[in-house]
Amino acid sequence: MTPTEPLPARGPAAPAAVRPPLPVKMVIAGGFGVGKTTAVGAISEIEPLTTEASITEVAAGVDDLTHTPRKTTTTVAMDFGCLTIDPTLKLYLFGTPGQERFGFMWDDIVEGAVGALVIVDTRRLDDCYAAVDYFEHKGIPFAVAVNAFDGTVEHALEEVRWALDVSAGVPVVVFDARERGSVRDTLLVVLELALARSES
Amino acid sequence: MADGSAPPGPDPVGPAPAVRPYLVTAGRVADAASGRALPVETQVVATAEGLFALGGLSFEQHDIVAACRLPQSLAELAARLRLHLNVVRVLAEDLREEGLLAVYVPDAEATHDASVLRRVIDGLRAVPDSPRGTE
Ligand SMILES: Nc1nc2c(ncn2[C@@H]2O[C@H](COP(=O)(O)OP(=O)(O)OP(=O)(O)O)[C@@H](O)[C@H]2O)c(=O)[nH]1
Ligand SMILES: [Mg+2]
Repeated sequence: MTPTEPLPARGPAAPAAVRPPLPVKMVIAGGFGVGKTTAVGAISEIEPLTTEASITEVAAGVDDLTHTPRKTTTTVAMDFGCLTIDPTLKLYLFGTPGQERFGFMWDDIVEGAVGALVIVDTRRLDDCYAAVDYFEHKGIPFAVAVNAFDGTVEHALEEVRWALDVSAGVPVVVFDARERGSVRDTLLVVLELALARSES
Repeated sequence: MADGSAPPGPDPVGPAPAVRPYLVTAGRVADAASGRALPVETQVVATAEGLFALGGLSFEQHDIVAACRLPQSLAELAARLRLHLNVVRVLAEDLREEGLLAVYVPDAEATHDASVLRRVIDGLRAVPDSPRGTE
């Protein structure tokens, strides 16, 4: 499928011939209650939808002598939204659940994503380590977005960067998950990263 | 997968983990751990055959084909029909094999293409500041 190929005319007589848009996926991660769903809802053209998905939890084999990682599948509620760019292209935003603990694998949701946003609440910085590690490890372009709850950012951005120990190439920005323009601009930061990578 | 409509490799169906049984799929679930599961943003749309056969379909199969008059992602389908994502993955695969559903697996090369990313960027830039209805 050529991504730029125009859609065939969409008439009521041939609904089955409708060609779907190319879906471009971005992921929104972060600890509990950091504003993932709020951010998705601020930019999505539909009310965020929720579905049950499975994620894999990898526990180090500390309980036995084999040290084999133990994998458990957990069902989690994942929410998402979308934004039609044009009839041939649609942006999907998926909030990854369950990142309050280390060792979760979101491959099932994240596979193929062009980029990710890790939302951070500076009052609970620890909650986002797992997500930061995950995207760094996966080599997925991402930015850290500090959600300015009530307009206050308790830590300076450089402190957040230092505390999270993110690489120099990872943008750390402040945003407001409730503001559409703010979410838009933050997603653009990630997309510019993804674009730079695709051109290099 | 040049036209984006073919399924990835072998049937992405594996044995059910001991989480819970999925009756609608006779106990099968999509095998996410194998990395062969359909991506959540995979687009599905009913074929003309599917819409024609609608009257003879039952339960979830009927609901899926009926909901897919308009193309949508597996995730949207699962959310709207209140089914687990992996159940929808399995049923969509079954329906595709029967020719009742067209499944468009996104081509990672296409979605990561610079020209596509530029179009997403331009489209997103055009989004106005304030959300509808609020403020
Ligand atoms: N004051 C303020 N409140 C916010 C902001 N972003 C989110 N909230 C509120 O914080 C709460 C949690 O936001 P959610 O978007 O549900 O967070 P989440 O990350 O989806 O939470 P879980 O899915 O439960 O992990 C909600 O009550 C939001 O209204 C913000 O920027 N400022
Ligand atoms: Mg949420």
